[in-house]
Amino acid sequence: MSWADAAAVVGGFGAGFLSGTIGIGGGLLFVPTMTVGLRLSQAVAQGTSLVAIIPTAIVGAFTHFRRGNVLSRPALMMGGGGVVGAVIGALVAVEVPGPLLARIWGGFLVFSAYRLTMQALKASEKTP
Amino acid sequence: MLWTDTPQRNANANSLVAIIPIAVAALPIYYFRKGSPQIDSHVALFLVIGSVAGAYIGARVLSRIPDRQLKFAVAIVLGVVGLKELLLP
Repeated sequence: MSWADAAAVVGGFGAGFLSGTIGIGGGLLFVPTMTVGLRLSQAVAQGTSLVAIIPTAIVGAFTHFRRGNVLSRPALMMGGGGVVGAVIGALVAVEVPGPLLARIWGGFLVFSAYRLTMQALKASEKTP
Repeated sequence: MLWTDTPQRNANANSLVAIIPIAVAALPIYYFRKGSPQIDSHVALFLVIGSVAGAYIGARVLSRIPDRQLKFAVAIVLGVVGLKELLLP
């Protein structure tokens, strides 16, 4: 097991933990682990993150399902609608040049950071 | 989770369920569309080892996690990495 393998395990643990707790997609952290930590290309990092997301999501979803946290109808609707978007997005992503894809991804990360900050601030206002 | 007012716990659970068919649908495109697969199976294996353990532990300790502080911390990490990708792709 190399240092790169160990870094992937640590990055994977962080991504899995955060997907199980605050619900951000594992890919949000899988991809930076690979592009920044392991120097993989943006497209390979995105494809590889999809492989890793499936078992991670199955374990997390099963755990939540047993605890009664899954709302089946919205989950199925989100999943069904998401499939269409995912296919279109993947077809576009594999054709986009690497640096542009990385910039688009960077913009999405910054936007996600903004939304998370707003949510955290909103939660602060509700706290007495 | 980023868009609706669904309770946090249900939103987390729903997003995990929904991502499964989404990832399954997109994966073949990354594998077959280009000349060579846009996937590193070796890295994926080690990511999965860490992430399955993390997802299991995270879902179990959800109610004991300081949600707000964790969101701030993750927002900072995502913001820094996002700016890096935007400016130095």
